[in-house]
Amino acid sequence: MKGMTIIVKTVSSWVKMLIVLFGIYIILFGHLTPGGGFAGGVILASSYLLIMLAFGREFVQKDLPLALDSKLDCLGALLFAMIAVLGLVLFDKIFFSNFLYLPGKEFELISAGTIPFSNIAIGLKVGASLFLVIFLLSTFRRETSANK
Amino acid sequence: MPYALCFLLFMLGLYCAVVKKNMVKIVIGIMVMEYAVNLFLVMLGFRVGGIAPIIDRAQYDPVMQQVAAGFVNNSVDPLPQALVLTSIVISLGSLALMISICVRTYEKYGTFDITQIRRLKG
Repeated sequence: MKGMTIIVKTVSSWVKMLIVLFGIYIILFGHLTPGGGFAGGVILASSYLLIMLAFGREFVQKDLPLALDSKLDCLGALLFAMIAVLGLVLFDKIFFSNFLYLPGKEFELISAGTIPFSNIAIGLKVGASLFLVIFLLSTFRRETSANK
Repeated sequence: MPYALCFLLFMLGLYCAVVKKNMVKIVIGIMVMEYAVNLFLVMLGFRVGGIAPIIDRAQYDPVMQQVAAGFVNNSVDPLPQALVLTSIVISLGSLALMISICVRTYEKYGTFDITQIRRLKG
């Protein structure tokens, strides 16, 4: 697959950074505004989906190989479990309890203890795994049409 | 009345999942059923003229260092929304599973018709 026309390629290469930035914003401000890890992860996956539709699967395969994507997926789950278990091990002996008491005020970015880090882990997990699902489903279709 | 419409939507999904022979249409019917249940759960927490259950500066009392008193009486119920968010994630996973089963079945049998797929042994 060579991808789409030059117009689609140019516009999507401009738009992809905006979509990635919007996804990172949704993840980082998840404890203040609507959104959070899942919504931001879906937006990150959709940016890679846009690149895959515009440039073709081989380009994305070079940019984000399947092994790296799978590793990011596992890393997100591991980070989330580590944040949960650190709350159990450190101060309070409670699963998922807050162990970061940062100097921050209400309604500011650094204000919610471990919740932003949980959001980052969930965003990584959701983005990587959702892109993996879409990529593998398109790979199925390719193999089917190649067999005929 | 909205609950009856939710039930109608659920029944449409159930009809689609039970009667249709095409596998993709069955998947669509199952997803319509899931969305009907999600809509029902969100409407359980709805309140006419309510505000979004997000604590921002307008809902915060800086003198008392806590949420303003009217917030709980004005906002909609956030618990069904959190539940529905989890339900959406799980329905996404089950949708990916169902679609991949459909794709593999089409790869093996060359059809989506469930009456044509008969060699389901071993």
